[in-house]
Formats: sequence, C-alpha cells, structure tokens
Amino acid sequence: MRDRKKSNVRVVPAILCLAVCAAGFVDGTRPPAPYRLDYPPGFGNRINIPANNPTTQAGVLVGRWLFYEKALSVNNRVSCGSCHVQEKAFSDGLAFSTGVGGTPVARNSMSLANLLWSRRFFWDGRAAGLEQQAVFPLTDPHEMGQSLAISARKISMMPRYALLFKQAYGDVRVTGERIVKAIAQFERTLISANSPYDRYLDGRYRPTAEEQKGLLLFNAAPEPTRAIRGANCARCHGGVKTYMELFHNNGLDSLPGDAGIEKLTGLPGDRGRFKAPTLRNIALTAPYMHDGRFNTLDEVLDHYSEHVKQSPSLSPVFRDASNEPAGRNLALRPEEKKQVIAFLHMLTDSTFTTDPRFSDPRTIPRKPKAAK
Amino acid sequence: MKKYFFALCLVFAGLANAVAQTTEKPASVKISGEATAPFELKYPEAGLLPHTTVIRKDRDGKDHRYGGIIVSDLLLKAGVTLGKDLKGENLTKYVMVEASDGYQVIFALAELDKEFTDRAIILADEMDGKPLPAGDGPFRIIVQDEKKPARCVKQVTGIRILFAR
Ligand code: HEC
Ligand code: HEC
Repeated sequence: MRDRKKSNVRVVPAILCLAVCAAGFVDGTRPPAPYRLDYPPGFGNRINIPANNPTTQAGVLVGRWLFYEKALSVNNRVSCGSCHVQEKAFSDGLAFSTGVGGTPVARNSMSLANLLWSRRFFWDGRAAGLEQQAVFPLTDPHEMGQSLAISARKISMMPRYALLFKQAYGDVRVTGERIVKAIAQFERTLISANSPYDRYLDGRYRPTAEEQKGLLLFNAAPEPTRAIRGANCARCHGGVKTYMELFHNNGLDSLPGDAGIEKLTGLPGDRGRFKAPTLRNIALTAPYMHDGRFNTLDEVLDHYSEHVKQSPSLSPVFRDASNEPAGRNLALRPEEKKQVIAFLHMLTDSTFTTDPRFSDPRTIPRKPKAAK
Repeated sequence: MKKYFFALCLVFAGLANAVAQTTEKPASVKISGEATAPFELKYPEAGLLPHTTVIRKDRDGKDHRYGGIIVSDLLLKAGVTLGKDLKGENLTKYVMVEASDGYQVIFALAELDKEFTDRAIILADEMDGKPLPAGDGPFRIIVQDEKKPARCVKQVTGIRILFAR
C-alpha cells in the first residue's frame, strides 16, 4: 500500500516532465523563455507575431547578433545595421544607401520602430511579414547580396553562434529560416514608446505652448468656414503610434518617377502611392520620403502647405483641403508650420535610440541616457 | 518651332495615354473568405447586376443618389451564410471591407442581412447617375442612414467574410 503511493508520486512528475519536454526540445533542454514585449496599453494589442515564430529571449539575442552581422553579406562589409543605425532610429541619414554592390538602392532606408504592429512592410507594403521581409535585403544584390544557404553555412562556421542557436532553437543547426526568424524576433522588440508625446499621453509631460498648438494642428482638418485651422496630418499619420498602415499618393509629383504600388497592382489609381510611414523619431530620420528628396522638416511642411502636386491618383484627402475659403492648397502660416514641427520633435524618443538592448552586442553597452 | 514641338509632345502624350488606357487593368472587388463560391467583381461588369439607390449626405453636406448592388446580394452569390443559414456559430462571422489605401472596417455579418435589418448597405458604382469620382471609386460602400461616413469606404478592393476567434 505504502509502496504504491510512493510510486504514484514519482510517476506524476515524470509525466509532467515528458509534457514539458515534448513542448520544448527533444534533447531535454528547457524551451527558451518568452520575451516580454512592453508597451503602453494605448498602443493596442493588434500585434503581428506568426504562430510559428514566438518571441523568446534567446531568439531575440540571436536576432540581435545577426542584425549587426556583416558575414551575412557577400563582401562581409554590410549588415542590417549599416542602413538601419540605432542613433538615427534605425534609418541611415542618406537619400539612397549603398549596399554591397556599391550602387545605390532604389529607395530611402526606413526607420525601424514599432514594427510589431505592422503587417505590410516596405514603402510599397510588398512584404507580408518581417520573416518574409528580411529575405529581401539579405539576398538583394544591391543590399547584402548573399543566398540564405551561403549565409547559413558562413554563420554555422562561426563558433559564437553555436551556443546562441542551441539556446534559441534547441540545437546548433543554422538554417536560412532560423536566421530570418531570429532577425524578425529582434525587430519586434524595437518598440519606441517613451517620447515626450507618450509621456504627455500618460499625463507625465506638459507640452510647451508651441507643441500644444502643433498637436492641435496635426490632428485637425481645416474648416475655414468655421474658422478651424488644421494641418490634417492625422488623417494618414494619426493615432498613438502615428502609424495607420495606409498607402497614399501625397502629391510629391504629378508624374511620379517611381510608380510605387502601381508596379505591384497594375492599377493606375495606385500610381505614386507609398506607405504613410510612422512619424515617430521623425526629427532623427532625415532625409524624407521614399526617395529622400527633402532634407528638413521645414521642406516637408512647405510641401504639404504649398506644393502638393495634382494628379489623378493624388489622395482625395488633399482635395479641397485648405485653411483658406476656396483655397487651392493647405496654406499654413509660417508660425503654424513651426508649431507642427515642434510637435513632430515631441516624437523623438531618446531612450529608444540609446537603449543598450538594441545596440550591436559586439560593442560595450552604453548607459541609456536619462529621458529628458 | 517650339510651338510645334510642344504640340507634338501633346500628341505623343495623348497616344501614350490611349495605349495605357487600353492595357489598363480594370479595378475590381474580391469577395473571399468564408464563402463557398468566392469571386472577383470587375468594374464594368458590376453595372449589369441589379442596382438599388440609396440617398445619403456626403462630406459636402449635400444629398447624393448612390446607385449600387446590395452587398448581401453579392455575398449570397459568393455562397456566404445569410438568411436561413445565418444562425448559430455563423452569427460570429464578420465582414472586413478593405480599400486600396489599406483602410479596413468591419460589419457584423448580421448587419448586412435583410432578415435582420431593412437598412441598405450597397457597393455603389455610381453617384448622381455618373461613375463615382476618381478618388472615391470605382466602388464605394454606402451605408444608409449611418451618421458618420467612416464606414462608407472609398475605393473598395476587397470584402472578406471571416469568423471572429
Ligand atoms: C543597403 C541598405 C540596407 C540594408 C543592408 C538593409 N536595409 Fe532594410 N531597408 C532599406 C531600404 C532602402 C528600405 C526601403 C526599401 C523599399 O521600400 O523598397 C528598407 C526597409 C526595411 C524594412 C521595412 C520597414 C517598414 O516599416 O516597412 C525593414 C523591416 C528592414 N528594412 C529591415 C532590414 C533588415 C532586417 C536588414 C538585414 C537583414 C536590412 N533591412 C538591411 C535599406 C537597407
Ligand atoms: C493623405 C495622406 C497623408 C497626409 C494627410 C499627410 N501625409 Fe505625410 N506622408 C504620407 C505618405 C504616403 C508619405 C510617404 C510618401 C512618399 O515617400 O512617397 C508621407 C511621408 C511623410 C513624411 C516623411 C516620412 C519619412 O520617413 O520619410 C513626413 C515627415 C510627413 N509625411 C509628415 C506629414 C505631416 C507633417 C503632415 C501634415 C501636414 C502629413 N504628413 C500629412 C501621407 C500623408
């Protein structure tokens, strides 16, 4: 009687262990701990994580090493981090970056922030997930120019990665799929949610008078008949994340040199249409637009205020939107442009650009600057 | 000389345009998801289906007459569970309307069913007897009597029927 009881007690943990091991790794090592993605509740939970690539601490660490890994390029000189620099909110300050080929890429490098909430990537939204997205720069002859198979072989010969891969995936096998999955995991952790704007939304920052006016203009649609002045930016860049995953022609050209989404759909209504990107950290990510044509935010505001070009595919949002009765353009006053720009500066998140968790792990981690 | 050159340019531009127009893909709306007979509604062909008129104010504050196809008729054609089949778990289905700019809005499937409501929700392809203006069309959802226009989606490209999870 007594003996049976004892054995029962032993059987239960054995079954438990079996269940855990089956869910984890075959060789009995523990499955990697999940990575806690912290963000304010206002960001909402419409996040995009594929079921077959959960975000784990060990996976994110592999991804972080790989993000800065130059061996992933054909000449061992270019990494993701070459065109996506943390201090610049993961953009690169150039109109057109150059990859391994020495020839410039076709479009302006994009800031990488809050990708966790995106489902369409690139200026034309052509990639449906971060895993799929990463394959483009890795293999594009103008960017890193190396097949996934060769990348996997090179990485598997670097001793550093054996333990990293084992901790993330249970064994040391390096595959193209594991590489892109780890990079995607790391990118999902790049959350920018501690700008003065976030602290304002949380009641912890009081905007200056200029910022406050800029915020109102940013969000308001102009209604000259009711004496409401507005810059209408929130129609496309609105919400807490300043990102709505909308694709528009914002009037840069009447005959666009780059047809944008039309190249994918063949529909003339999509001509010159591009992603309206997040404006988070926008003061750090010049030059602006898909071709980096504007060097400053002043130029951007001048564009929206006075130079929006008519064309059949121009977003209807700009149709008849003016601060003057029967006006042909937005017509912001010089001081109003400055106010909108002051608001845009509120979106700069210095803890994001200095967060040691996002830096190249090869360098000694710097201390994050205290938030201003 | 300059004048002639300019005129020539115009001719060429016109020609290029005409060529482009003949090869242009027609806009369409894909009806897919929880449907036994998903299909793509092409712009000119939509005109052949039975039309209903809904009068609604636009942002300009004026009443407009919108002509279009009742959305539930399109869904029935696609084999979506409506009418006597709209019960049980089918009442947890929703309709996601997608626009060419990525804008998305949702209706509960029951909001579209004639046995649940008399309110007409149409996929309009004309306004005041003419094709919709370029920025709005060729297809636009018009929701009868809804106070805000936010679900009167412009430039509709897709209607997906999905189960809420
Ligand atoms: C040679 C410069 C270059 C390199 C190297 C590079 N990128 Fe990019 N990245 C770009 C450019 C340019 C774009 C925009 C391209 C487009 O839209 O066609 C972009 C866009 C992106 C986007 C889309 C962001 C969004 O909001 O849609 C992501 C994500 C991204 N890159 C991640 C990576 C990763 C991961 C790597 C390394 C595997 C990488 N990039 C390497 C230049 C580069
Ligand atoms: C109709 C939608 C729409 C409205 C309204 C709009 N934008 Fe944009 N914005 C876009 C699109 C689309 C792009 C990308 C265009 C491109 O590169 O071709 C863009 C790009 C930008 C960029 C450059 C982003 C980058 O990373 O390079 C800035 C800055 C910007 N907008 C600020 C504003 C401000 C400020 C306002 C209000 C005055 C505004 N936008 C109104 C759609 C819009």
